[in-house]
Amino acid sequence: MTVTKQPPPAIAQPRPSSSATEPGRTPTRPRSRGPGWKVIRYLFSAAIILAALFPLAWMAISGFKARNEVVASPFQFFPEVWLWQNYVDIWNDPQFRQALLVTFVGALLFAALSLVVNSMAAYAFARLEFSFKRTIWVVTLITMFIPMMAILLTSYIVVTRLGMLNTMAVLVVPGATSALHIFFIRQFYLGIPGSLEEAAVVDGASRWQIFTKIFLPLSKPVFVVVGITSFLAFWNSYVWPILTITEPDSALTQIQQYLAIFRSERRIEYGLLLAGSTLAAAPVIALFLVFQRYIISGIRISGIK
Amino acid sequence: MVTTTQTPQLTNRQKRRDNKVAFLMLAPALILLSIFVIWPLVYAWIVSFYNWSFYEESTFVGLNNFRIVLSDPKFRASIVRVLFFSVIVVPVMLVIAFLFANLVKAVGAKLGTVLKVSIYIPTVISSVIASIVFVLVYEFRVGLLNWVLGFFGVANIPWLGRADTALYALTAPAIWIGLGLASLIMLAGLLDVPETYYEAAEIDGANWWQRTIGLTIPLMKNIILYLLVTGFVVSLQQFELPLIMTNGGPINSTLFPNLLIFQRFTNDLFVGYSLAAALLLFLVLGALSAVIFRLVNSEKSGE
Repeated sequence: MTVTKQPPPAIAQPRPSSSATEPGRTPTRPRSRGPGWKVIRYLFSAAIILAALFPLAWMAISGFKARNEVVASPFQFFPEVWLWQNYVDIWNDPQFRQALLVTFVGALLFAALSLVVNSMAAYAFARLEFSFKRTIWVVTLITMFIPMMAILLTSYIVVTRLGMLNTMAVLVVPGATSALHIFFIRQFYLGIPGSLEEAAVVDGASRWQIFTKIFLPLSKPVFVVVGITSFLAFWNSYVWPILTITEPDSALTQIQQYLAIFRSERRIEYGLLLAGSTLAAAPVIALFLVFQRYIISGIRISGIK
Repeated sequence: MVTTTQTPQLTNRQKRRDNKVAFLMLAPALILLSIFVIWPLVYAWIVSFYNWSFYEESTFVGLNNFRIVLSDPKFRASIVRVLFFSVIVVPVMLVIAFLFANLVKAVGAKLGTVLKVSIYIPTVISSVIASIVFVLVYEFRVGLLNWVLGFFGVANIPWLGRADTALYALTAPAIWIGLGLASLIMLAGLLDVPETYYEAAEIDGANWWQRTIGLTIPLMKNIILYLLVTGFVVSLQQFELPLIMTNGGPINSTLFPNLLIFQRFTNDLFVGYSLAAALLLFLVLGALSAVIFRLVNSEKSGE
């Protein structure tokens, strides 16, 4: 992150350490006492971690089983023999690799488009004065509360009429604007002190220059959150792709679509399916782990205050 | 708003200065929103009054589509079903999230981070993958759940294959996926409660339970209410899990309203019915959000 001198904008700024408690708080308050409490805390912690991660660990481990061992009776947690075969086989399926690739490219495009579109709008709402500002702002916010199903069907009709079915554009473009992301970035921009721009205004910088030269370089923390969130949403989406990518064996088949089709068509090859699911889950888990500090502190304000 | 504090003259001059650049910067977002969100919503309302088809001339039928939906026992049953589902999912999720937040606050920083990261990982997983895993967990012969229950002498149960268990079976993956976000928001709320309150309570000798009932919950009322409402709004719209795991079955026992709408649309192309049903839900969910947010806000400003 570029070093800036002004106080951190109140939001989405990852705290220096990812500690759960604010610095200075912990020592002042005695923790609940007694060895009993300690045991309960550790048991509860273990239960949470186990419940959250066990299904995924099981998925990954079962990928190492022989092809039909997964559904072999009686149940066994670990494979009889550890085999790479499923992972190799699914990776060697050209359709699987194509689905991973096309979803990855789509997710990158989607995240990029979402950052461009939403950050420009956010800047306008945060810093510019223009006609009908309040009306446009309220209408934008209202779109946040429209349930997906209320517009899913007619959106499908719209993109059909626009001839967008079975194109990359239909996956990337319609969802790129997000009122939530505009709101989120705007909050961040409102926290940037006006004194930073004043010098630039005196020097005769245009609004656009102020945006690109001053605001964008400061945007990294909030851009990480919005970018990753968009990437994950695209990677994980299933319903919109099955509506709009309709050609069988299309080169645009998304990874979730691929897995769902695989599951319904080759139901007995569970080892392969779980290996494929593991490979499809790995990138998003890795992405989250790398940026978890940003994302977790981003959640602090995506809620209400 | 800044404008109200300035003199009108200045405001106008400033507005004129910014209008061009502002609308250029807003244009991409507003155009996309108009085409892919606002117009589809308006269009949905229009089409819901017609007997609409992809291939034929549509005819105006007034409120007929809404009447059909509201008198359809299948739709009504799906509403009751999803309410029942949400009444299980949301409170369980909130209770776990609340305990989780207290746990993270009590343990050290390192374990706290591990807990936060762990609980959020299921949230970044897709519904498709969650469904694949949980279908196997519930598998009749070789599923994880039946294996575990086997130790307690419980006979194998086809969890997703029986009408009386399938709905309950879907609650677990729904909680598993939704818990991460709820827990972290809950934690943020808990950490916002000023520590001085607790110090005072501890001097008075209040134990954890008393502090929670007397202090934490009242002070976190807004966050809890917020999570309750958003939890319900999300849960009532649930349909990816039943779509992939059970496709609404067996015997419609997991057929939620959104899944019914989706199936009607994709299988029968009964557009009028689907749209009318979706818009009815939209009204209910919108009203629910609006009322509660008004409530939360008015209490906030009343403080």
